[in-house]
Amino acid sequence: MLILSRKPGESIVIDGRITVKIIRLEGDMVKLGIEAPREVPVHRQEVYDEIQANNREALTDPLSKVPKLPPSSNPMSNQRLGTSESGHLQMKSASIGHSKNGLNGK
Amino acid sequence: MELVELEKPVIKGHNLIQLPYGLLGFETVKNYLLITNPQEEPFQWLQMMEGPKKAFLVVSPFLVQPHYAPDIAQEDMDFLELESAADAIVLNICTVRPGEPATINLKGPLIVNRHTYIAKQCIPENASQLSTRHPIPVS
Repeated sequence: MLILSRKPGESIVIDGRITVKIIRLEGDMVKLGIEAPREVPVHRQEVYDEIQANNREALTDPLSKVPKLPPSSNPMSNQRLGTSESGHLQMKSASIGHSKNGLNGK
Repeated sequence: MELVELEKPVIKGHNLIQLPYGLLGFETVKNYLLITNPQEEPFQWLQMMEGPKKAFLVVSPFLVQPHYAPDIAQEDMDFLELESAADAIVLNICTVRPGEPATINLKGPLIVNRHTYIAKQCIPENASQLSTRHPIPVS
């Protein structure tokens, strides 16, 4: 592992296109500013590791037995995916109702 | 790459979903089929089109957790070209373990643009409050 010493306000550049800047120190926290092209995902390591491990465990044979939701949590008798009235996708500035008609191949 | 008409099923009962970033841990697999079997609804299968014929079981998280509210970052909305949540389908990956309750990953939702079928596994800004192993109630 390459180890570099940097002061707040200083940066490193990776591959000519990714810049990691030390914004400031707050006690035992370091604030980093990262500039990367859109095709380069940047994640907190522990969150990435947790979701990656979950994905790996979830990958299965498509013939596996599928759970059955209890009727109370499945108001979908004549509707498709994603019609829960209270479910919503939150956004930074607005909160909008989860819309009707899910993706399905019908 | 072969172009398909995204508003229509590729194969009856199936939709092609494109994940330009792949799924976390499966970054190289970018094309999936979303398979709907009526007897398994509301669950669906997200099957890899490349590599092994493996699949992820997915479901609308709002059926499991009605108050689910992932806070999707603006850059993810921009990437997916979502102007509002009404343009999105939310599907979360489920894990079925023998002898244990099935769980749903609320921390890494797949956000799908319902018009383009382009999707991304997003990490919501409120991810620290969300579980990767939320139990699914079963009947």
